[in-house]
Amino acid sequence: MNTVPDNLKTPLVELLLTVADDKLMLGHRNSDWTGLAPILEEDIAFSSLAQDEIAHAAEFYKLAADLLESDPDKLAYGRKPDEYRCAAVVELPDEFDWSVAIARQFFCDHFDLLRLERLAGSSYKPLAALAKRLVAEERVHVEHADRWIRHLGGGDDDARQKTQAALDKLAPHAAMLFEPTIGQSELEAAGVYPAGKRDMFEQWSADLCAVAKDADVRLEVSRPPAGASGGRSGKHSQAFAGLLDEMCEVYRIEPEAAW
Amino acid sequence: MSLSAATEELKIDWSIQEDEDRIGEFQGRIDRRELVEPGDWMPHNYRVGMLRVAEHHANSEIVGALPEGEWITRAPSLRRKLALIAKVQDEVGHGQMLYRVSQDLGKTRDQMLRDLITGKTRYHNVFNYPAPTWADVAMIQWLIDGAAILNQKSLAEGSCGPYIRIMKRINMEEAFHFKSGEDMVLTLMSGTRRQKQMCQEAFDRWWWPTIMFFGPPDKESTKTGPFMVWRIKTATNDTLRQKFIDRFVPAALDLGLKIHISVKDENGIIKRKPDGTLDQIEDPELRYDEEAGHWRFSRPDWDEFYRVINGDGPCNKQRVALRRFSYEQGAWVRRTVLGQYAGLPPSRN
Repeated sequence: MNTVPDNLKTPLVELLLTVADDKLMLGHRNSDWTGLAPILEEDIAFSSLAQDEIAHAAEFYKLAADLLESDPDKLAYGRKPDEYRCAAVVELPDEFDWSVAIARQFFCDHFDLLRLERLAGSSYKPLAALAKRLVAEERVHVEHADRWIRHLGGGDDDARQKTQAALDKLAPHAAMLFEPTIGQSELEAAGVYPAGKRDMFEQWSADLCAVAKDADVRLEVSRPPAGASGGRSGKHSQAFAGLLDEMCEVYRIEPEAAW
Repeated sequence: MSLSAATEELKIDWSIQEDEDRIGEFQGRIDRRELVEPGDWMPHNYRVGMLRVAEHHANSEIVGALPEGEWITRAPSLRRKLALIAKVQDEVGHGQMLYRVSQDLGKTRDQMLRDLITGKTRYHNVFNYPAPTWADVAMIQWLIDGAAILNQKSLAEGSCGPYIRIMKRINMEEAFHFKSGEDMVLTLMSGTRRQKQMCQEAFDRWWWPTIMFFGPPDKESTKTGPFMVWRIKTATNDTLRQKFIDRFVPAALDLGLKIHISVKDENGIIKRKPDGTLDQIEDPELRYDEEAGHWRFSRPDWDEFYRVINGDGPCNKQRVALRRFSYEQGAWVRRTVLGQYAGLPPSRN
């Protein structure tokens, strides 16, 4: 279908904003490293990842904006904090600790790939077409993250400890990526957000643990606690307000102006 | 002596004795506009001079990424945010390519990064000025990248093969940066009163540093002579400066910008008079000289230039400190990935 039935409009907007917000904030955090990453070649690679995430976000904002008769920049920059739908794991600052940046990427890229693969089968054609296009890029992100986890885990004791600490720190937050979006079950029932071949959490967990095993680090992930509400319901960490203030600093000077 | 003679002391030394026939033959190749490639014989001072140029250029690219990089997280639209990441990424990429050229000329990358953060080597003076608003990003891309293109086009006419090939590629990318800067300046100057004012103030901050970007006046420049004979440099500082002026004065005036001489505080910010207005006057020497076909302008503040280049500029400490932070913060990662080649921690001097 090329149009959405009225009763699914709100749930679909929730889902689109969730994907877009996750990607924008992840790209935003990654772009903090542009010019400062540990190795010049990686600096360039990480900047490309940041651009991919933000460009993907812009496409999802556009789909949402079409439904809301708004525009992508207004959605990205002009909402109140509790109107954002990103998960806590993309909001946390990494304090320029490379192991944290990589661990974040590892959790999020694996999640994003599975989510995009599901969306590629969506009954809402514009969404399916977009997701199909982005899956190939997301696979490259996953390969990049996996390679780094193996590199760092396979390093000396210091490197392995840092990587372990980063995974331990982020794993509980990463679980909240699976917090359902508002109205998600209705979208699933209607085939707008179809199920994958295997339960998404199980797939995610198995993929992550296989890489962790190679890298000789421990990894325990869990589903979000029943009834837990976080980013998908607009509840954000303390760090998020600061992130948003920084991101919107210039935009808010003249929100109606062209920049 | 070849490009790979890495153990040699990398210092310019005009007392060094080299075979005169070989020097003559080398000069002949330069004069015939042949390119010098790694592995070819070259005079010691050519190699060291070329290394210094390439290393300084590489340093400037990665330090130059910092003032604009600060604004990525604050870019005011998705399109500008993407463009700015891509732009700063390009600068880092230029740095990477230029360090590779420098590595071929005989110095390790780690040594270069350490010399940069311990102050043994320098980077371009212009990056010691602050970028306190979004409009400064526009000015860096329009003025500084515009000036860099003029400078690098002349460097691309040089004699060192690997360097000029990279210069051509860099110039292609810089042309995009310049266009992006021009677009940002145009947007701000067609915007609200506040945006126009922000743009004018950023222009006032960057105009004179950009004019000094081309280096000291020819009569004070010690490097120009021998470096021009070998075509490490192909145009003098003053020639390039005049070219810039002739191109950018009319462009700035067309956009509605005024060219000021301003009094700045130690942080590089223009002072205000007791009545709250900015402490500045329009450049009294600015006029088009019909006869010469050139724009005339006031003498830049060369005292300020030497003060900043010798370490006392508004942002020297901040820029080097951030590079050092990045170097130290990433040391364990390089050790993990590169092992023994990752280099030792820098000295604390």
